[in-house]
Amino acid sequence: MSTIILNGLAFSLPLLAMALSGIFSERSGVTNLAVEGFQGFGAFCGAFIALVLQQSMKGSDVPYYVALIISFVGGALFALIHALMCIRFKANQVISGVVINIFAMALTAYFTKYLNLAVFGASSDKFVLNIAPKVFGLYTFEYIIVAVVAVAWFVMYKTTFGMYLRACGDNPQAVDAAGVNVAKIRYIAVSLGGGFAGLGGICYAYSISSNFSSNIYSGYGYLAIAALIFGNWNVMPTLFACFLFGFARSAGYQIVQIAELPSSYQDLIMILPYVLTLIMLIFFSKKTHAPRALGVSYDKGSR
Amino acid sequence: MSEYIVEMKNITKRFPGIVANSDVSISIKKGEIFALLGENGAGKSTLMSMLFGMYEPDEGEIYIRGEKVQITSPNKATELNIGMVHQHFKLVSNYTITENIIMGTEPVKKILGIPVVDIKRANEEVAELSKKYGLDVNPTDVISDIPVSTQQRVEILKMLYREAEILIFDEPTAVLTPQEINSLLDIIRGLRDGGKTIILITHKLDEIKQVADRCAILNRGKLIDILDVKDTPTKTMANLMVGREVSFTVDKSPANFGEEVLKVQNVTVINQNKLKLVEDASFTIHKGEIFAIAGVSGNGQVEIADAIAGTIPISSGNIYLKGKDITKESIKNRVESGIAYIPEDRHNCGLIMDFSLAEDLILKKHHKHPYSDKKGFLNASEISNHANLLIEREDIRSGQGEKTIVRSMSGGNQQKAIIAREIELNADLIIFVQPTRGLDIGAIENIRKKIIAERDAGKAILLISLELDEIMNCADTIAVIYNGKIQNIAPTHTLSVNEVGEYMMGVGHNE
Amino acid sequence: MNKKKKSIFISIIGDEKRQSFTIPVLAILIGLIVGGIIIAITGSNPFKAYYNILQGCGLAKKPSYGGKKGMITDFMEFVNYVTPMILAALSFAVSMKAGLFNIGISGQMMAAGFISTILVGYSELNAFVARPLVVLIGFIVGALVGGLVGYLKYQFNINEVVSTIMINYIFRYIITFFINTYYVDPVSRQSVLINPSARLSLLKVRVGDYKMTIPLGFIVAILAVVIIYILMEKTKTGFEIKAVGLSRNAAKYSGINVGKNIILAMVISGGLAGLAGVTYHLGYVGSIQPNTLISTGFDSIAVSLLGNNNPFGIILSSFFISGLDAGSTYMTSSSGVEFEIAKVISGVILVFSACSSYIKLIVNRKRDEIVAANTVKEERS
Repeated sequence: MSTIILNGLAFSLPLLAMALSGIFSERSGVTNLAVEGFQGFGAFCGAFIALVLQQSMKGSDVPYYVALIISFVGGALFALIHALMCIRFKANQVISGVVINIFAMALTAYFTKYLNLAVFGASSDKFVLNIAPKVFGLYTFEYIIVAVVAVAWFVMYKTTFGMYLRACGDNPQAVDAAGVNVAKIRYIAVSLGGGFAGLGGICYAYSISSNFSSNIYSGYGYLAIAALIFGNWNVMPTLFACFLFGFARSAGYQIVQIAELPSSYQDLIMILPYVLTLIMLIFFSKKTHAPRALGVSYDKGSR
Repeated sequence: MSEYIVEMKNITKRFPGIVANSDVSISIKKGEIFALLGENGAGKSTLMSMLFGMYEPDEGEIYIRGEKVQITSPNKATELNIGMVHQHFKLVSNYTITENIIMGTEPVKKILGIPVVDIKRANEEVAELSKKYGLDVNPTDVISDIPVSTQQRVEILKMLYREAEILIFDEPTAVLTPQEINSLLDIIRGLRDGGKTIILITHKLDEIKQVADRCAILNRGKLIDILDVKDTPTKTMANLMVGREVSFTVDKSPANFGEEVLKVQNVTVINQNKLKLVEDASFTIHKGEIFAIAGVSGNGQVEIADAIAGTIPISSGNIYLKGKDITKESIKNRVESGIAYIPEDRHNCGLIMDFSLAEDLILKKHHKHPYSDKKGFLNASEISNHANLLIEREDIRSGQGEKTIVRSMSGGNQQKAIIAREIELNADLIIFVQPTRGLDIGAIENIRKKIIAERDAGKAILLISLELDEIMNCADTIAVIYNGKIQNIAPTHTLSVNEVGEYMMGVGHNE
Repeated sequence: MNKKKKSIFISIIGDEKRQSFTIPVLAILIGLIVGGIIIAITGSNPFKAYYNILQGCGLAKKPSYGGKKGMITDFMEFVNYVTPMILAALSFAVSMKAGLFNIGISGQMMAAGFISTILVGYSELNAFVARPLVVLIGFIVGALVGGLVGYLKYQFNINEVVSTIMINYIFRYIITFFINTYYVDPVSRQSVLINPSARLSLLKVRVGDYKMTIPLGFIVAILAVVIIYILMEKTKTGFEIKAVGLSRNAAKYSGINVGKNIILAMVISGGLAGLAGVTYHLGYVGSIQPNTLISTGFDSIAVSLLGNNNPFGIILSSFFISGLDAGSTYMTSSSGVEFEIAKVISGVILVFSACSSYIKLIVNRKRDEIVAANTVKEERS
């Protein structure tokens, strides 16, 4: 039982961080299919720094913590490209998201190889990381994500910035009329979202494989999107969705093991989140509310 | 200090293709209700948008409280205590009334240095403000749950919360019922009596008569006159507004009704929010008859047209075309059985803006011979010939002829294209909704003549217009709709403008 | 940029018609320049690297070839590689015409590939029956999935972007389960290779002195391009789909059945994705890798964009983007530049072309200004 909970949490929490990426961006009105790319690029940045620091600090946890921070920063900076394309260049936001994902995969794959060779003299397509530290059986990043999500929730629903952000996703004209710069709010929202995704990405890099490679792009960014739709673009219900997905996964894996079924049965369990989300959309499509201004670029001139 | 709180001097504003304001000068006294009167497109909203900082004038100067100012943004306008209620409200639908009012200038408390919205204080402030000005709202209600009239109050409170002294209302009554209009006018009077300066943009004379102190009349971008309202007869204002004598004489031959074409029987339309938009409407239209529906915008007239054309479902009742029940027919079948429709919103419903002119001109018959053959292939040369024929006959002007993308054409030519296309369908019933909206005088005359010509050719015409002038001029029979209900149906010659106006306001008496 | 340079730039970009060509070319140039700079910084010669890519694609002669190989064999291999991309990009373009985003091409490809594999690929059917059957089944499976997406959109108003993503992963995991449970090749960890009689690429065919791949799928792709072009530009069906795509409301008011056309467009788009799937899984590869949504499905979105969603434009853009990929392995072995750089270059191109509408907007605005200024001058003189 405790394995289910531990594994479930270790999977759910980074997923929640990624879902938060989508929530921040989409609640501000910018469609975000680029979670996958943000998390991968963020994780790449963090993993590289960790690897550099690991050389000189053997056995220390410092590289790991630095990696978490750098992943956030890397994801946030990379997300600015998406923001720039959607806000400044008025690119189609769906297409921009897809292109960003392709771009992130390309960049990180190339530079992982290149940096391995150039900096570490190793011919490898992955950054091998130390084992992430645990406290009370949980990775320390899990506590950090809980704290980050709490802060993010507070920012989203209590602060002035959060009020502007959510308003931008519903009626940017109203925000503009209130004398607040819509574009600026959206840049910040998308960028913060990129940071959250980057954080989620490095956590998966540590927990799932203890390395960074192109395997990081295995679709968790899209799973996060399913979670946030399931959670109706709100933080608390999305948290519930992530736990549901995470525990369903860990429970399923456990059952497969106990029942001594072939491991391929694990894949069947992974269908659940997507099926649930689709079913929910079919039966409750009237009750799900994407932000009203989602995907529409805001043009100050138009009234 | 000047006696005027607002002075706009020699303002000129150009947009590509048009001069929206040409050398307009107005001065507004503190504590008065100043109306801007003019038809659609006269330049009222543009003028006020400049006062509110949404555009900057190309020429001219603005003085506020005697000081020359550059109003570069709505923020700047707010700093100068200018507020504006726009025609389309700028409200966040999933926020509470309080959140909408305070956004941008919210009370803040710091928690660990982070600015946090002090929502409790804000609610108190809003409750207090609403009490002070008699604008009754519940601060914690969510916008999407409250009626339009309350949303408007929220917009007013938004200005007051920002301590606006100069309040601009852009067509505030367009979305309101008569009771709501009365209560709004009371509010406006109350605000003036409380020392605020009010600028009211409208094209409704009766409102000006009721509340305004002075009135500036604009016509096609130019200032015509500034009048004291109580000294000026309505008729004079009306004439100045349209820029010519409003003639109610009809330049057309007497109608010659033939057989019945359209019969609308007890039609009721209910929208998603369970609101009755059209209630129990019944009327008939004959060959050779122009049947007009008059009414203030948003009283259900457009929904009647949509219901006949089949673009919205009806909840009960029946529609017959030439004796055949078409109530359950698809849009396509209705077109086939003889309904042509010039919808109100030509950009969204009438035309595919990114199609070429030739493509737009064959819509509705693109699937028929000779434009498509039996195998479903389009016949390019027939399509092109058809387009060139209509372009020449109707004088549709465009940059690259039939290949022009419709979006790049002028509004007047777009409207010409739709009307040409619909008339070319040779349908028994032609529905015109607001056919002349936003067009210049020449184009308007032209379209009205065309409507009458179609009647004389034996078509049944349903004309829906907000311009009373147009209805009185063209219609053979007038129905007046108010609040979704048809108030009265009578031959045009038995009605006076005032009677129609009264029915439009829901105050006419049924006999 | 000073004024003069600006106006030269604007006149090069040209009017609307020319922009559909000049802007993608500009995007490609920028991508190549950025890639070249990266290659140069990392210590290799970009011109040599790019020439290697051409050589890898069979568009330029390599210094030496192995037995029974030559430029033509490389080129045929390249064509084999491009085929699924053309079909996938065409699939996206059709959805775009109807105003929809088919993000689910990967899933549709996988589903079509899988069903065709187990029904035909593992059967003992004669090649003359098997190959057309593969194509047919591929199309039908893709069309059914696309149709489902269209139906969900029409009936429940479910955003097709969301539904296609969900369906992508549902397929990915279900198919992975079946492959790992029943059809896995223990060595390659992929599905068991299909029978050659069902394969859409003829391998090691002796032509003259060469042994080459004959990509039969390419014929399917070219046919599809021509058919889609005719369907979209010359028939009333295409007229209606485009009308729905450009303005759902105006199409509805014109009596066009919006729901029917949305579903139809998705059926066609899905069907094309299905064809892409069979030419990939039963043509290029011959098997299915479990747990992987192949990148072609996503790359094709951008390829379609680069080709202006025009069927013939798509052939060009597919050859270009896939060419970077196909030639990059040879570049690595010859110049030592990591082959992933090809993806970086295409990434830059795609990012740039995603912004193309903005460039068009700016250029057109500037051109209008210049025209306006000139007319003022003329009036004054």
